Amino acid sequence: MSGFINSFSSEWLKKRRTAASLLTVIGSLLIPTIVIIARIDDHATLAVANRQPHIWENLYGRNWQLMGLLFLPMGVVLATSLITQLEFRNNTWKQLCTTPQSLTTIFLAKLAVIGVMLMEFFLLFTGGIWLTGALPGIFFRDVPYPAEAFPWKGVGNGSLRFFLDILPVVALQYLLSLRFKNFLIPLGAGLGLYVASMIAVHWRHGYWIPYTYSAYNFMGNAPQKFHTHWWAAGYTLLFIGLAYILYITRKEKG
Amino acid sequence: MVPAHSGRAATFDPMSTYCLETTGLSHLYSGGDPVLSGIDLRVPEGSIFGFLGPNGAGKTTTLRLVLGLLKKQQGEIRIFGKPFAENRVAILSKLGSLIETPSVYSHLTAVENLRVLQKVYRCPQDRIHQVLALTGLADTGKKRAGRFSLGMKQRLGIAIALLNDPRLLILDEPTNGLDPEGIVEIRDLFLRLHARGVTVLLSSHQLGEMEKLITHAAIIHKGRLLFQGTLAALREGRSGDDLETIFLHLTKKSA
Repeated sequence: MSGFINSFSSEWLKKRRTAASLLTVIGSLLIPTIVIIARIDDHATLAVANRQPHIWENLYGRNWQLMGLLFLPMGVVLATSLITQLEFRNNTWKQLCTTPQSLTTIFLAKLAVIGVMLMEFFLLFTGGIWLTGALPGIFFRDVPYPAEAFPWKGVGNGSLRFFLDILPVVALQYLLSLRFKNFLIPLGAGLGLYVASMIAVHWRHGYWIPYTYSAYNFMGNAPQKFHTHWWAAGYTLLFIGLAYILYITRKEKG
Repeated sequence: MVPAHSGRAATFDPMSTYCLETTGLSHLYSGGDPVLSGIDLRVPEGSIFGFLGPNGAGKTTTLRLVLGLLKKQQGEIRIFGKPFAENRVAILSKLGSLIETPSVYSHLTAVENLRVLQKVYRCPQDRIHQVLALTGLADTGKKRAGRFSLGMKQRLGIAIALLNDPRLLILDEPTNGLDPEGIVEIRDLFLRLHARGVTVLLSSHQLGEMEKLITHAAIIHKGRLLFQGTLAALREGRSGDDLETIFLHLTKKSA
């Protein structure tokens, strides 16, 4: 276990000053920032809005609308590819594969870093949602703190569902980024599948494309008898298993 | 001069142990072209071993196979007396390497690059500053490795290879990109390491430079080992010739 922790810690250090780590922070706070600016701009309605009983549900929906449909899948495609491709870009696979750690440890540590970055993203975004309600009151004396208490449990459950539904995208992007040296392949495949998923989201067999799941989650229009989270878990395990086999059996390690 | 295939084991001290040993190592490219044919490499413990050959001779492929970077097709690899495949992690913990171009994270500083690996090797943090001083990179500060000159990147690659205080150092063309002053510094460093008992395996086609440094040599040409033994044995009967002349004679003879 200590070997894995050291490996994770080493992988975590590598992401310092990378585009992926910047993307996690900017991507998570971009929509809340826009919502805050829009609310402040419309400050005449703020006092009434903050007294509404469902103010947080309203803000949660406004924030997740663009995030669930666009930014989350696109950001995950980009960040996972960037993090995994770090070794190809710096020609460091050969150094990494001659360090005293098993290939399984390397595979899992990299995947864990992406998972933790995703959690970091969700935490920042949740904090951002809270700020969209709380911050305007600091700028305007007549605007009260929202009357309704922040629904931590509901927001947490909602975030957990989005987290689960985006995992197959992480797993497939991880597989592609480990497999192909050319950054454009995982990126192109990811963006292509995302566009396909947006077209397929109203199709009755759209659930075959795992990139549709965060949209289903937000719109609540998943096909009947289709359990998004179970399918997401199944696809995640399938892609991770496949990625592992392809990585371990690769003839050239670096 | 002792050809590798002549079976004259006397070229090595019969009492010495081999730090690295390959038996019948062969490799084919996917097209079916042989890159290596039955390489029996014997690197004695405590030697500075020059693995010499022209570009495309099979040096890097051999080293990549030895380090497990290429999947072995045929033959055996033993390091520190143990089969590599079964003892990979234990062997790599006592080994440092630099293969082809240096592997550095361009967005990180020299210290950060070393810290990434220090975590995995679990060596003391002080070691980072020691290897930076050894390789002349102590003053690079916050400069990111992406802005380093080729020579500085090469030095950082060597610093990475030295980080875990290895018992065996495998370096592929280590003086690439270094200026004359840098070459002398790195040569002195290898000699100091050798004096401390570290086995140094250097692959190079720069024969003049190798001649000043190595105690043992192996010559590879078109995937076949033409000679291996001590430098004295390589020069046997050719005391007036430099390594380059001897090398050319051997490769012409094998053609």
